[in-house]
Amino acid sequence: MLLLSWLAPAAVVMAWELLARAGWISPQVLPAPSKVISTAIKLATTGSLLNDLGVSLLRVIAGFAIGGSVGFALGILVGFSRVAEAAIDRSVQMIRAIPFLALLPLVIVWLGVGEAEKIFLVALGVTFPIYINTTLGIRQVDPKLIELGRVQELSQLQLIRRIILPGALPSILTGVRYALATAWLALVVAETIGAQSGIGFLAMDAREFLRTDVIVLTIVIYALIGVAADAIARLLERRLLAWHPNYGGAR
Amino acid sequence: MTAHVVPPASTVETASPAVVVSNLRRVYGNRVVINRLNLRIERGEFVALLGESGCGKTTLLRALAGLDPIQGGRIAAPRRPAVVFQEHRLLPWDSLWRNVSLGLRLPDARERAAAALAEVGLGDRLDDWPRNLSGGQAQRVALARALVQQPELLLLDEPFAALDALTRIRMHDLVRELVANHRPGVLLVTHDVDEAIALADRILVMRDGAIAFEHRKAEDTASIRRAALLAELGVLTPHAAA
Repeated sequence: MLLLSWLAPAAVVMAWELLARAGWISPQVLPAPSKVISTAIKLATTGSLLNDLGVSLLRVIAGFAIGGSVGFALGILVGFSRVAEAAIDRSVQMIRAIPFLALLPLVIVWLGVGEAEKIFLVALGVTFPIYINTTLGIRQVDPKLIELGRVQELSQLQLIRRIILPGALPSILTGVRYALATAWLALVVAETIGAQSGIGFLAMDAREFLRTDVIVLTIVIYALIGVAADAIARLLERRLLAWHPNYGGAR
Repeated sequence: MTAHVVPPASTVETASPAVVVSNLRRVYGNRVVINRLNLRIERGEFVALLGESGCGKTTLLRALAGLDPIQGGRIAAPRRPAVVFQEHRLLPWDSLWRNVSLGLRLPDARERAAAALAEVGLGDRLDDWPRNLSGGQAQRVALARALVQQPELLLLDEPFAALDALTRIRMHDLVRELVANHRPGVLLVTHDVDEAIALADRILVMRDGAIAFEHRKAEDTASIRRAALLAELGVLTPHAAA
């Protein structure tokens, strides 16, 4: 079955390779997969590919750390306090209604085209999924378990640590997964608009010279990193939610 | 709210009750659920509370547990009671021993939890997850969690209602044994008359927010005599040990 599921994509790549070699597809339109691979090796060994990859990853990590912290802190605050909810939630929901990528021109006016602008955009995209899923997770903790905490005479801090946060964790991790996807999207857009380094810069630079092999390579790299990020999120879920029948898998 | 006032030392009677309820009143909106209810449970005494749905028996238990405010009267208990609910209410993200030791503020929490789990026959499952337990096993862990607190009053809110008949009978034996060993005062809220008769020293029937009927189990002289005789012969039964 596993073999069968890989059959279709493998066939498509083979067909692509054959058609490109036969000259049916112009290299200007779509280079052969083998050409993309050789370009990858060349850029990695002699060019700036690894450096650009590092720059892009750093932007995502910084933006994710900032946006994640802000979203988590706001989520905790609103999840626990009705006053904070009244004060904050409506504003956050209103800002959330804006597609965050639409803010890019404004962000460029504020911060210029540089690292700050890219990290800000990533952070913006990350904040909301983390915020929403944190508050949602806290709200959804079984009130019967909170009551149990009172019966067992837990302090407020113990109640949060032993019952509320673990109960909210599945939802928070769902937020992390969404946030990883939006972080990546934000990075692609920010790097495409204006950059002097990074994967997006590589793609835009290649466009100038009609180097479709490099462009396809950057697309593949974006995809691979997306897959890797998702794998990390899944690993986190399996480790942290081992107790949960939907995530723990093997016992 | 006057729940769980620790009585001044001079009023503590020598018999040391697990809880004394006087003139308790509990109101939802303008509906009186508990009205002028008096109840006294001694340590080591097993009291069952019967009553139709909506008669206020669970409301009484929740008031005793300190989970709901009361609107009149007083509840005097030396310490906060332990509670076993109808659902096991185990934390799914914690191992069994972490569940049992929840709220224990002692350095040897794990050892105590291990001892309590051994007492309910799950001593080999310390690090297991709650989701791997059957309904009866989960309820046994809930019992261990209540008893590890060494409560003077144990509140049981229909803890066996969701179990199958055979498991329920096994749980009855276990509870009888645990209560004999730990000697807390027990208030068992139940629908099941047979369960009340099987377990309790005293059976109360609640109606319209007050105790309407009380039945004290006659001392079973034959079994006491038998236990005493066996004790003389060096054979300790739970009854004689107590």
